Amino acid sequence: MSAPAAAPSAGAPTTEEVVRRSRQRFDRSLIVNPLIAVIGLLLVIAYAASQGLDDVERSVINPGSLGQRLVEHLILTGLSTLVVIVVAIPAGIAISRPSARRIQRPVLAFTGFMQALPAFGVIVLLAFSPLGLGLPTAVVALALAALLPVLTNTVVGLQQVDRALIEAARGIGMSARQTLFRVELPLATPVMVAGVRVALVLNVGTAALATYVGAGGLGEPIKGMLELGRPTGTLVAATIVAALALIVDWLAGLAEYAVRRNAG
Amino acid sequence: MSDSGKPMIALEGISKTYPKAGAPAVQELNLEVPEGTISMFIGPSGCGKTTTLKMMNRLIEPTTGRILLDGEDVTAVNADELRRRIGYVIQQVGLFPHFTIGDNIAVVPRILGWDRNRITARVDELLHLVGLEPKDYRDRYPRQLSGGQQQRVGVARGLAADPSVMLMDEPFGAIDPITRERIQDEFLELQQQIAKTICFVTHDLTEAVKLGDRIAVFGPGGTLQQYDTPDTVLTHPANEFVAEFVGAGAAVRRLSLLELSRLELQTVGLDGQAERNGSPTYEADAQGRPVRWAYLPGTADLPKLVTVPRTGTVYDAVDIMLDAQTELVAVVDEQQQLQGALWWKDLVEGLKTKAGA
Repeated sequence: MSAPAAAPSAGAPTTEEVVRRSRQRFDRSLIVNPLIAVIGLLLVIAYAASQGLDDVERSVINPGSLGQRLVEHLILTGLSTLVVIVVAIPAGIAISRPSARRIQRPVLAFTGFMQALPAFGVIVLLAFSPLGLGLPTAVVALALAALLPVLTNTVVGLQQVDRALIEAARGIGMSARQTLFRVELPLATPVMVAGVRVALVLNVGTAALATYVGAGGLGEPIKGMLELGRPTGTLVAATIVAALALIVDWLAGLAEYAVRRNAG
Repeated sequence: MSDSGKPMIALEGISKTYPKAGAPAVQELNLEVPEGTISMFIGPSGCGKTTTLKMMNRLIEPTTGRILLDGEDVTAVNADELRRRIGYVIQQVGLFPHFTIGDNIAVVPRILGWDRNRITARVDELLHLVGLEPKDYRDRYPRQLSGGQQQRVGVARGLAADPSVMLMDEPFGAIDPITRERIQDEFLELQQQIAKTICFVTHDLTEAVKLGDRIAVFGPGGTLQQYDTPDTVLTHPANEFVAEFVGAGAAVRRLSLLELSRLELQTVGLDGQAERNGSPTYEADAQGRPVRWAYLPGTADLPKLVTVPRTGTVYDAVDIMLDAQTELVAVVDEQQQLQGALWWKDLVEGLKTKAGA
């Protein structure tokens, strides 16, 4: 690493260094997290089997109904994350443009405020808005709570692009738009993807609250089992949500790793 | 060196004042760069040399004045399109890390909509020109290249669309001294082939003297103090400021500007043919190459015969004399035939250049 021949220029790391860095980037949680999820899920199912479920529990904790709740949960998560991406990335790009630098801080402060609000409160409050009960309310509430990580990472990702690259791009005749799409955004992508991963994991967890506005999801069996005083059923349902969060995070982590590796 | 070339790029009454700053960064600047020549912008930091360079391709918009590119007023044309007609090379190189070397060079040709074959051919041609084997380097990424190689690619990218003007902002400033010297030599050779009009910002007077056909010395408040050939700037500084900036060592620097072929040398005869009457004579081998001194006027103590090529500079001759500890060096041509001699005392008594040279 300290070969004297490798000294001449900053910004030109040796290939050895590059290899080492990409290896380091391979997060250990990418192996450990799915293992914890699968082992935990198996343990809880084994426990439930040993305890035995009564008829009421079985009416909720069965593959058919849980499968349906899972699909609802994934739809909630997917839609809300999509809304976050569609809103926060363009907004992040917009407030990073030199002409809009002034409003950057207020916008970030506002989204920080949105995230600080308890998601449970926001979901229930939004039910009193014209959106009423149901899926749209849940999606909007989830999206509001998850805007911040994507917005900040978009801003930070664009900020960390070397100014010299932008100067070179403009200097050789790329327009502002070409510079954004061919230089700035590709180089900011790894950081932006990391932000989307955080939003996704936030949404998987928070989507369990969607049941309070009648939007279904895996929160429904948890809430049902709690209300009926069935601890074993509650445990199974809650473990499924936790395992799902770990697995979604794992998948998003794999995607992030792939993006980083491609970006060099 | 010729001053007769028409100006390829010219600034007329250019000023730049930043909104919040009181004093202008560049003031009432008039500058013409003749076609096919290199103008070096030099001066202390904060004197507006980089600002001036960036106003030429309107990365910085001038507050007042006109920019003329090949006689055309480009002060108000589309800036992006203007920049595609002007090469740009910066100190940090700024190669796009997610593009291959080939794609980095091809950026402007692609924007200009060249067809694929023409772009590939151009990329290979340029890599060749800067001394990188296309098939080895075309598909590599910038991080796999050394600093010197990256800057060669930077120069190639600047040349991609064959612009008539190149703007270079301290391009060799971040390269280690040994590589820098080599890359400067290569750059001069390259310029022999491509004959671009080049504006080159530097903070290194040695570099300015070595590369420049003309040197523009910038002073405080973005004023142009002197704009002339390196020789004139070193020997006849326009004012106190330039004299101080050029400073100590100007006389020595000047030695490297004077090619031996331009000098009136001491005549030397072949021993046995010429009279031993005041001019030195020498013995030669079968090919006529000088071997040793046979006679030197006024001394019986004959020094070793050392030679310097005629294409070298007075600086090289001094270097050789000091190295060999002699007061006399023989100047030879490409075939090693002796053309004349240079005495140490000629340096102090004043060098005579040939009439008309």
